[in-house]
Amino acid sequence: MTLKLLGGIFIIFGCGGIGFVKAASHRREARILAEFISAIAYMQCEMQYRITPLPDLCAQTALQCTGVLRYTFSALADELNNQISPDVECCMLSALEVTRNLPKLTYVAMRSLGRALGNFGLEGQLKELDVIYIESKQTLTAFTKNQEVKLRSYQTLGICAGAVLVILFI
Amino acid sequence: MMCAWEAFMNLLPIWMRENVNSKGKETLQNLRLRVGQPPILVTSDKQISLSKTVTAEDLQFCINIASRYSPWSATTVTHGYITAQGGHRLGICGEAATLDGAISCIRVPTSICLRVARDFPGIAGKIKDLDGSILIIGKPGCGKTTLLRDVIRQKSNAGRENISVVDEREELFPRYNKSMCFPIGINTDVISGCSKAYGIDLMLRSMGPDIIAVDEITAHEDCTALLHVGWCGVKLLATAHASSRYDLLNRPVYRPIVESGLFDYLVVLHQDKSWCIERMNI
Repeated sequence: MTLKLLGGIFIIFGCGGIGFVKAASHRREARILAEFISAIAYMQCEMQYRITPLPDLCAQTALQCTGVLRYTFSALADELNNQISPDVECCMLSALEVTRNLPKLTYVAMRSLGRALGNFGLEGQLKELDVIYIESKQTLTAFTKNQEVKLRSYQTLGICAGAVLVILFI
Repeated sequence: MMCAWEAFMNLLPIWMRENVNSKGKETLQNLRLRVGQPPILVTSDKQISLSKTVTAEDLQFCINIASRYSPWSATTVTHGYITAQGGHRLGICGEAATLDGAISCIRVPTSICLRVARDFPGIAGKIKDLDGSILIIGKPGCGKTTLLRDVIRQKSNAGRENISVVDEREELFPRYNKSMCFPIGINTDVISGCSKAYGIDLMLRSMGPDIIAVDEITAHEDCTALLHVGWCGVKLLATAHASSRYDLLNRPVYRPIVESGLFDYLVVLHQDKSWCIERMNI
């Protein structure tokens, strides 16, 4: 009986844990995307005011970010400074290969950023950054819509699934 | 001799680097890349042609590297050149796109001329001892910028005068990895990236110079700026494109500065890198 009880508790905690992890990963993705949007805003200001070349701009942006985003921008700056890749998009791909645990939405946004950078004069480049900024904001808004309800559901679903399994097995 | 050779190598497509490094490290002056043609290395005494042909992607690669993947910060591209890290100059030719009558970019680059920047400390000789404003003239490629750089450095190291350098194209004292490629001297202040007219005015007002140095006077605005700063108690060092005093007088753009007596000495550089000093009083 004790063994069954322990097994049941273990299953409930296990399934509940999955729900909590899923919720945490959702929060992380939203946080990193929000940080990416701030980074784009920073890049726009820096570019407009100081006309900073891209490798320096990426290195500075890396310092404004934290965690995986800092690592990605830093890798991009290194790649640009290495002067081996033919264009920014290739540099971005190499940087993203180095940084593997970037959430999907931010990864997609970074790919767009790689395609947009290094192609235009100042005015065109700022417009391109503006487009990415707006798109990312829209993505973030859609992603975080009803976030709290959604996250609570993940957690509740996890616990309930655990409870159902316990009832079925015991 | 000093040269940011590594910076120059980085400008080249990867397939070309080893060949250029082995054939031109010590003597290369220009590297000419034309789409569909083999690269041509121009040294002081010969031309060497490589076997593989240059593609449009190769040229784009060079331009991307020279502008550090940042077309917006390499605004000189509209004047047909980019100064890359290390002071190497990339002249660009091709199909230009114009906006309101001015070139906005080179849409399809078809050829590139890469000029290697080299520094030869100690070549200024007795020019450094001349007291007064000096104008250095010579044909393209005969070493005006190199000589001016050494004159600035040696006058600066003499420690008696403050020298303000307006380095519009960042060719006199280029940077590489955030530090100067060549020694600038202990009393030298450098402003780069702005027009000569603006830079001269700024230096005069803010840096208290004894000497103002500029490279390559080419436009009326440059001459006007020099005339504006003349007789303010500040001496001038400058270079100009002309092979002799006769050429200088016959170029309308230079006539005002020659006739005004702004410069005390004229240094005429020859193709074999020798030079002679003449008084400017005519």
